[in-house]
Amino acid sequence: MRYLTRPLLVRFLGLSSRCVSVGLSQTKTLMLSPKQLSLRQSFSTRAGLVTAVDVVKYWQKVFETNGIPEAQESSEYIVSFVLGAKTLQSLNSKILCAPLTAVQQERIRQLSTKRLQRMPVQYVLGEWDFQDLTLKMRPPVFIPRPETEDLVSLVVEEGSQKCEEKNSGLLYPAAAPHPVILEIGCGSGAIALSLLCKLPQSRVIAVDKEKAAVDLTRENAQRLQLQDRIHILHHDVSSSSAKQLLPWGPVDFIVSNPPYVFYEDMAFLAPEIFRYEDLNALDGGDDGMKVIRTILALAPSLLKDSGSVFLEVDPRHPEMVENWLQTHPNWLLTLCAIHKDFCGKPRFLHIQKQSR
Amino acid sequence: MNAPSLFHFTFLLKEISTASWRPWMLRKQQFSLTRLPLFQAAGKKNSSNLLALNEADLKEQFVRGDGPGGQATNKTSNCVVLKHIPTGIVIKCHQTRSVEQNRKIAREILQEKVDLFYKGEDSDVFKEKKAAEKKKQEKKRRARENLERKKHFKEMQESDGK
Repeated sequence: MRYLTRPLLVRFLGLSSRCVSVGLSQTKTLMLSPKQLSLRQSFSTRAGLVTAVDVVKYWQKVFETNGIPEAQESSEYIVSFVLGAKTLQSLNSKILCAPLTAVQQERIRQLSTKRLQRMPVQYVLGEWDFQDLTLKMRPPVFIPRPETEDLVSLVVEEGSQKCEEKNSGLLYPAAAPHPVILEIGCGSGAIALSLLCKLPQSRVIAVDKEKAAVDLTRENAQRLQLQDRIHILHHDVSSSSAKQLLPWGPVDFIVSNPPYVFYEDMAFLAPEIFRYEDLNALDGGDDGMKVIRTILALAPSLLKDSGSVFLEVDPRHPEMVENWLQTHPNWLLTLCAIHKDFCGKPRFLHIQKQSR
Repeated sequence: MNAPSLFHFTFLLKEISTASWRPWMLRKQQFSLTRLPLFQAAGKKNSSNLLALNEADLKEQFVRGDGPGGQATNKTSNCVVLKHIPTGIVIKCHQTRSVEQNRKIAREILQEKVDLFYKGEDSDVFKEKKAAEKKKQEKKRRARENLERKKHFKEMQESDGK
């Protein structure tokens, strides 16, 4: 017999009836057409045996038919995850051609059903990688974007450089070799925890106005055994005093990936984003600068002399930030560098506080 | 089934000159894998013997949406395609779920391939591969000999028993 065994076929068929009973407005998009079922049958070459490659192709077709973006990537990530790997490319050909168990196929089906609801892959899997860390992900906490990995590298470079300068005996009002870093809007903890790993002498204060983000950062910190070097606070920086942000005194660096989407662009966000992520983590107000302005206003009272602010922003912001700083000369903050992301867009700002 | 066209970004292969990769790193020296302790700690061949890669010789491509990028998009395609212009060698890396890690690994693999290309049999990459192959052959030969010996011993026993 060259086709799927009956129980497995029934399970795949079961997908459609389950969706109807949930009563979603998109149910009609989740029905498996006869064409899709025959695709299923043509993929298995031995009696009831289905390989990882077969299953990836199958779900890719289902996603494509249902208008799910990144159909191939989504399918590959889900199947790899169930097989205990990060990506398909990292699996050897032996595993890729071996038959999947019924349990594995069922798990893949469960996860793929979530993806069919336009849930971001990171939430479907409940985890994602940021640099060399694997972090738990949970809606609606903001999912770290790949561009932000370069923000961390930028801060690490600055952080290690200051250490070198100090050690070489130059008379710089430099940071101590144990930098204290404040992150505003920590989300899942990606930036804070990466910095702690890459700067082993550093300590971090991470704040977020959302309780869910604070909880998730705490969970990720504990999973990585970094909880002793991080203070995680539930605090809205635009509200009250900044005093509670200084348990270790003025800080060497302020880092943030603040909400910076222009309000008019919020309407163009993909369903993956506006249906599942916390929109407060994205909305920067009319000009995307609302939270950026708050951070810059706070910075002079939080930073040591020669301390720095590192921000991720929209490509339209560098000039706007420069103008904003020029209208507040008493802050003594200067935009000293604009760095591009890996797509060549101006993305990261380095602002420094001058010493008095 | 209705993916509104507003939300549908066309995918472009974005060609980025790698001179823009971490410009703050280029301040110090030419990018060279040899100075990153990470790679040696990974237990690989001693990379200080491999030819250093010059970032200016590399061309990187990413599959990215045409949109604004950053927070406004959530794309999971982070495959990196890295080309060494002088030799024409191309590496496609999708080993991890992190763009930065894929870029690092792509450079590592490319460095080995470029070294092999220029040095041929003198390359550490070639030598290690040969050594590994030799070890494998040795193991097979020993296993075969053991099997022969056991067979012979059994035959002897049976003939004694008669």
